[in-house]
Amino acid sequence: MRSLLDFLIRHSFVFLFILLETISLVLLFGFNDRQREAFLTSANSMSGSLFEWRTGVESFFSLRKENAILVEENTRLHNLLEEIADSQYVNIERSLSSERVIAARVVDNTVRKDDNYITINKGKRDGIAQGMGVFGPDGVVGVIMAAGKRYSVVMSVLNGSTSISCKVKGSDSFGFLEWSGGDPYVAQIKDMPYHSAVNRGDSIVTTGFSSVFPENIPVGTVAEVERSKNGYTLRVKVNLSVDMSDLKWVYVHTETRDEEIEELYKETVR
Amino acid sequence: MDRLSFLRRLYLLIGLVLLQVLFLNRICLFGYVTPLYYIWMIARFDNSMKRYATLLWAFFLGLTIDLFSGTPGLNAASATLLAMFQPGIVKLFVSMDRHDVVIPGSASMGGRQFMGYLLLLTVLHSTVYFILRSIPLGDWTELILKVIFSTLLTWIFMLVTEYLVAGSARKR
Repeated sequence: MRSLLDFLIRHSFVFLFILLETISLVLLFGFNDRQREAFLTSANSMSGSLFEWRTGVESFFSLRKENAILVEENTRLHNLLEEIADSQYVNIERSLSSERVIAARVVDNTVRKDDNYITINKGKRDGIAQGMGVFGPDGVVGVIMAAGKRYSVVMSVLNGSTSISCKVKGSDSFGFLEWSGGDPYVAQIKDMPYHSAVNRGDSIVTTGFSSVFPENIPVGTVAEVERSKNGYTLRVKVNLSVDMSDLKWVYVHTETRDEEIEELYKETVR
Repeated sequence: MDRLSFLRRLYLLIGLVLLQVLFLNRICLFGYVTPLYYIWMIARFDNSMKRYATLLWAFFLGLTIDLFSGTPGLNAASATLLAMFQPGIVKLFVSMDRHDVVIPGSASMGGRQFMGYLLLLTVLHSTVYFILRSIPLGDWTELILKVIFSTLLTWIFMLVTEYLVAGSARKR
């Protein structure tokens, strides 16, 4: 009995080892999506400021380039404004909706993992909530997955769980943009109706169906169209218009969502 | 070379975590090669440390990195496992009749032995790390490539560190 006790005490670290490994593996595999989200958000408030500091240092060295991009976008917006002022037609529907866009800085970003996330420096305090669309100067970037107080985690387009409703510009053919790992510049639309007129080089834009994104935000251009295995739909490879590996500023689309549409969607899908 | 006090070890932990999450995690050669340099801390555990202490240090080292990388449990699991086997791996590379305190290094073990020791340690860690990360296992070739190249990169980083550490110790 005594020697057994001795043995146990001398090897108590083995039990500690088993305990620590169990904790780690529970953290790794026992998390469901909801808990993972909580972990990301809480970790986020802590790591957010650290990453922001790093981004601050890094962006100092690319000020010139960033400036150029901002100027370019400014010009584009100016032109757009003039166009709108010129046109007699006023989009009543649009002016009635409480559409608003918040600019945020990217403080952390990955593109090479199987599921990529982006951290931005705006959170609940700034009016950001889960499910809002995020886009950059060049186009769609992702969807807010979790909002912390000061920071939020964006589920990047380069994430297996992201699915964005989009269409061929100027037509009504639509499908869902998905990404299945690998090349961070290419994503696919899997179930485009077979009769749709899609050609290489066509622009792909958002549909605005779900109010996550406004209509006509660029997504990318068609790189390849092929018939999918079942033969009834098209598989469209899309060259993303955003260089996800070089993101500095993004906009969050915070239109108050139409709750009735959301409710209906949830009821039918879930 | 002295054994590290608790406080100095804590500084080392903080320094390695910052280095890993701020800079090294961003290195991603060919799409999947990331140096997991933070295990340097585990590589330097000396044989006078209590086993439970090495496990706890490694666990918290891994967990802190997880906290900043959005990978709950991944680094904690692989670092703890490494700390469990580290004393055994040291024994493979130093002669059995030594009973003094051995801090793994080229001075205490001999250059060649130390290189071998680091390589074995890194292979073990990268293997566990990438297997856990890739579950459910699908693409074996990619997994093996990840292990090989990340091991090499981590190993080279550690050899450079040792070269600098040993060099500065000699000058003193």
